[in-house]
Amino acid sequence: MGTRFEVVLWGGDAPRLRACAEAALERVAELERRYSRFRPDSVLSFLNAHAGERAVGIDGDTFELLAACARVWRESGGAFDPTVGPLMRAWGFHGEPGDVAAAAACVGMDGVLLDRAARTVRFTRPGASLDLGGIAKGQALDEAAAIVRDAGVPCGLLHGGTSTVVAIGSPPGESAWVVEVRGSPFRVALHDRAMSVSEPSGRVVEREGRRLGHVLDPRTGSPVEGARLACVVGVSAMETDAWSTALLVLGARPKGMPEQLTTLLPQQGGVWSVEGPESRLFWRSDADDRAGQESP
Amino acid sequence: MNETDRRTFMKQSAGAMAAVALLPELGLARPVRLREPVVVGVIGAGRQGRAILGELQKMEGVSIGAICDIDERRLDAGVRRSQGAEGFADYRAMLDKRADVKALVIATPTHLHRDIALAALAAGRHVYCETPLAHTVEDCQAIARAARGSSGVFHSGLQGRSNPVYKLAWTFFRSEAVRDPVAMRAQSNRKNSWRTPAPDPARDREFNWRLDPAVSLGLAGEQGTQQFDVFHWYLGAYPVRARGGGSIRLHADGREVYDTVHCGLDFESGVHLHYEATLASTYGGEYEVLHGTNASMWLAWTHGWMFKESDAPTQGWEVYANRQRFHNDQGITLIAEATKLAEQGKLQEGIGLPNAPLYYALGDFLRSVSESAPVVCGADEGARASIVGIMANRAVVTGGTVEIDPAILRGG
Repeated sequence: MGTRFEVVLWGGDAPRLRACAEAALERVAELERRYSRFRPDSVLSFLNAHAGERAVGIDGDTFELLAACARVWRESGGAFDPTVGPLMRAWGFHGEPGDVAAAAACVGMDGVLLDRAARTVRFTRPGASLDLGGIAKGQALDEAAAIVRDAGVPCGLLHGGTSTVVAIGSPPGESAWVVEVRGSPFRVALHDRAMSVSEPSGRVVEREGRRLGHVLDPRTGSPVEGARLACVVGVSAMETDAWSTALLVLGARPKGMPEQLTTLLPQQGGVWSVEGPESRLFWRSDADDRAGQESP
Repeated sequence: MNETDRRTFMKQSAGAMAAVALLPELGLARPVRLREPVVVGVIGAGRQGRAILGELQKMEGVSIGAICDIDERRLDAGVRRSQGAEGFADYRAMLDKRADVKALVIATPTHLHRDIALAALAAGRHVYCETPLAHTVEDCQAIARAARGSSGVFHSGLQGRSNPVYKLAWTFFRSEAVRDPVAMRAQSNRKNSWRTPAPDPARDREFNWRLDPAVSLGLAGEQGTQQFDVFHWYLGAYPVRARGGGSIRLHADGREVYDTVHCGLDFESGVHLHYEATLASTYGGEYEVLHGTNASMWLAWTHGWMFKESDAPTQGWEVYANRQRFHNDQGITLIAEATKLAEQGKLQEGIGLPNAPLYYALGDFLRSVSESAPVVCGADEGARASIVGIMANRAVVTGGTVEIDPAILRGG
């Protein structure tokens, strides 16, 4: 994850709130240690080192995280794919470029066998590896929020890197937390909801005279041109995190996307589309009221 | 170590170093793959219990058969994470029902260790107990006595003794590389309240036992015990006196247990350990430093460095060693498995331990259970270190000096 997490809580006595926030952030740190691809002692590093050789037993939480990865990969038609790391490296986004075709042969979540009965994971493609950067932040925020809720704190806002946010209840006297979606003219009202925003970021590489952004389509093995922003609102931050990554690649809602998620996506000509059961939560910040949304 | 031993050791070490041209390959950080499978039970599924479960699941030949915690949510979470584990709210029921669970890891609050450890040993189980072993001298001695009377393995969770970086540093300490100890210091700095949010305010005391002066050993005992033991192990000696003090620097929330402490431990040889711990600042984190006449060592649990004096004899291999700059000093990184990493071209990126220190401590315990490997850190070492922690806390709380009678370290 390698990003800053912050927690704002309200209600009850200050020492108890601080303890709740510490426990929430400690859980985030624990999951960071578990799923970081940069730490040699992480569960993810262990999996990447051994799952190519044998079926590796994993804990229930990690299994469910990988099962969620497989589900979003399937529903998004492969646009969300945590095995895309070798391609990112080959394109030069994480250092020196390499052989793209060889890297593409390693990629595909269908090459990650999850055995629920035995609770194991095995890579069937040589050279495969997992990078949970597109989903682990959301899972960490879900777990952190669960700690806060379990402690009986009625009101809070948690975010990771400002790109995924979880709202618990609403601020005193308000009906929801109001969050600005930077990079868009919209604001969103969140009450017991999670939201994730994905944008192209990070290193830009040049290939054959073209400047290529950091967003890579795992289905084609090539960077996506024209990707701008994808915002998803739902109940689970793990789900919104993964889906915002997928939608940045896709540019539009696919048929297989869960209906309960609400999305904000840019269209041609400066138009934005808001789709989903909770589109009323979005409104243009440059409008007088929430009636200003363009294509609900 | 007498002079003959020291020369022999140096000769052997120098040969190994010359052969590999880097740091010696000692097989210190090898992964845990048990020849005979072991079913493990974990008692206590809080923060430390979760960490233990995570490390056990990385090991081959280890299955988690049972988890015990009196808190339903923690127990459910632990069982959910562990394939096939059965949950228990009472450790006695676990001991009665699951005879197949041969090895137990005790990760409950410190003051609850004694009864559980004694029951587990009486039931013929192998025991790994987190340290401090107990919150009173009497309880520490009782655990050590019970372990001596048991045919099973008892492993005290003093992680430094199993840590590959610390083992590697120990080999240097035992050679001329460091030579005579000059001074020692250690710290444990973090910034948090040490509070745990209880699900029900009525259970606050149960969850926040570390802030209960009746049972808490404070920072000196709860954090210091692990760190003090590094020096016990290296020096082969225990302190004879503790001095200390403390205050509340940040968390003035009605607590009595200090959030910032300092203490000094005097050893018979005249060498002194200065220790500081706080919950009010993260600066520097957690580490131990041992200054010697030839070199100093800075040990930070997953990393370690050695700083040579300019007049120290050159041993040859250090020319090729990996180094890091620290202001005006240059540290030679102490890397376990350096040769293997060098072969894989990962020496630069892989300078930390490949696993958490806890992994190696649990691994040593389970090798003793599965393969009858010698116990790396037994009950006596655990009891002595815990008693030093208790005495250090006593000095901190009273703000005075506490003599440590060697007789109480020898056990009851």
